[in-house]
Amino acid sequence: MYEPDNRVNSEIEKLTQIYYREAYQHESFIRVSLRKKEHLVGCCLLLSCRLLNWPISMATISSLLDADPMVMGMLYIEMVKILNIEAPIVNITDVMEAHSHDYQISSLHAPEELSESHKDLTKRAVELVELSADTWIVTGRRPIPIMMAAIYLSWQSLKPNKHRLKLSLEKFCQLAKVNKHKPAIKRITEMKEMLCKLGQEIPWVREAVTPDNVVKHVEDILKHRHALLRRALRAQEDALLAERQASCEDLPIKEDADNHQLHGETLKSQDPEPNWGKRVLFAPPCVVQAKKSRVEQPELTDVTGDEEISDSEIDAYIRTPQEVREFALSQKMLE
Amino acid sequence: MDEWALERYFDDSIANDSSFILEEELDSHSPAPSGTGPAPSHLPVKAGPSGQVGEELDLSFLPDEVTDDATGHMTTCVLWVSAAVDVSQDSGLGLDSSTQDSAAAADPQQGASGTGTGTSTFCPMTPMTPMTPMTPVTERSGIIPQLQNIVSTVNLGCPLDLKFIALQARNAEYNPKRFAAVIMRIRDPRTTALIFSSGKMVCTGAKSEEQSRLAARKYARVVQKLGFPARFLDFKIQNMVASCDVCFPIRLEGLVLTHQQFSSYEPELFPGLIYRMVKPRIVLLIFVSGKVVLTGAKEREEIYEAFENIYPILRGFRKQ
Repeated sequence: MYEPDNRVNSEIEKLTQIYYREAYQHESFIRVSLRKKEHLVGCCLLLSCRLLNWPISMATISSLLDADPMVMGMLYIEMVKILNIEAPIVNITDVMEAHSHDYQISSLHAPEELSESHKDLTKRAVELVELSADTWIVTGRRPIPIMMAAIYLSWQSLKPNKHRLKLSLEKFCQLAKVNKHKPAIKRITEMKEMLCKLGQEIPWVREAVTPDNVVKHVEDILKHRHALLRRALRAQEDALLAERQASCEDLPIKEDADNHQLHGETLKSQDPEPNWGKRVLFAPPCVVQAKKSRVEQPELTDVTGDEEISDSEIDAYIRTPQEVREFALSQKMLE
Repeated sequence: MDEWALERYFDDSIANDSSFILEEELDSHSPAPSGTGPAPSHLPVKAGPSGQVGEELDLSFLPDEVTDDATGHMTTCVLWVSAAVDVSQDSGLGLDSSTQDSAAAADPQQGASGTGTGTSTFCPMTPMTPMTPMTPVTERSGIIPQLQNIVSTVNLGCPLDLKFIALQARNAEYNPKRFAAVIMRIRDPRTTALIFSSGKMVCTGAKSEEQSRLAARKYARVVQKLGFPARFLDFKIQNMVASCDVCFPIRLEGLVLTHQQFSSYEPELFPGLIYRMVKPRIVLLIFVSGKVVLTGAKEREEIYEAFENIYPILRGFRKQ
């Protein structure tokens, strides 16, 4: 287990102590439980690390304290607000280096076919995470499953032979002696999809690039990612333009400004507005796979709040004497 | 279970009103709530179903003494998310600049309480207070946030026998071991009420101020019919929650960098960015999808003003 204790320098230690003293004595925290005070230590450590640009995740600190990361995280936010401090957020690519240390797949730990140097692995994983960030896979998501997905794909792509490609994430985590994070599977799928969109822009690749064969192209994709991104975006723009021209030719009459809004509204009522996420090359996955929005019940309009309230409506909410007797009886029986 | 999170709403609003006696909900078994309890003046309450049949009242925002669960704040945020992301996309988006003026001037569909965007009064800036920059009146967004939930309180002005109410009313739930209030629901307006033995009541789930008031009056009528001398004192809107969609993705990492003093973005804990606007005092949850939830308002103009303030900032982070 990666232990930052031996690495955190004295400056961070000192700052942590200062903040802890301040927080501990604050009226909001002076009377909290001992357990919470322990959490507070973690919060102060996190704060100091952030202020001194030492990349560390909440998950790491809370696992050291054997604490629930959510609980500690909530306390951190509260503490920062109370102490009125602004701390920068941690960049995922900075944490990557530390995180990949956890994976024991160097030649010391794993068989040759499956081993990989920490340096190569980290370098590729960082590139993959950066590319994922550019294509909306990272924002709003938990960092650790993303890093796990990046490391797994990087490891496969550094030597895309049969052995590595066949090894599932589960087995890979067992090999590297890390705990698997379920969301990583979804991140892997999303990353592969994104890589396919770029992979198919590679001029010298003849075959179709699919999630099944994209891993062997990852090296090329990362190497030429800027150019491939440009090509893919341009191709998308051209496709959209062609589509728009085609649909324009179908429309016989040109609406003037007054009719346009009305027409737009009736169109909207007939079929839902197309998801804007589907019209761009890369969009946050939550937009592309938007859940079907609940159809709102036709709401009461023109309610003044002062309406007459009918007796019958209120009576409908009150039990008859018979019901009351039965209810009381059933309550007694349940006791 | 901390019963006072809701009671504190009353304290906040009626603190200076000497005509009310704060009842003895304040029993002796626990001391003042710990610092992790949500501060009611900042924390909006979502305690009502948002339109689904048979949805359970989720009171997880109330801190639980037993497990010392400090996730009240975030749980509330999560509740907002589940409400917001299921919301219909139709937020009156003005698609081109020529219709922008007419869209901004049009009345929101909820009701006739003023036009879409309120005029903000200029307030002299003190050097100490960071203020979110104001939008010039000419650059309206054309998007109108839709109200999703209104929380209001009212004092029925007499002590209530909750056991009796739970026995006599069809639409009431009462589990004193779980929570010291009767949970009552009516179908129209579809809302939920929390009725306390002190006679105070919280009404949640309405989609407009008028609906909230109508619903509260109906609950009061039910209580009256059951034989209590219920009145309808000091009805007040305590919180309004609205949502909308700007329809473009937002780089939250960038936003938290440039607006650090207002923003909190912790993807390890929560996918959205929490933006605490100073004027008006509104909390916004901003998501990568472009969906925005606004809460903490006592009047709908605050919501509209807050959104008009944030929109140009979000536009600045638009990619592609």
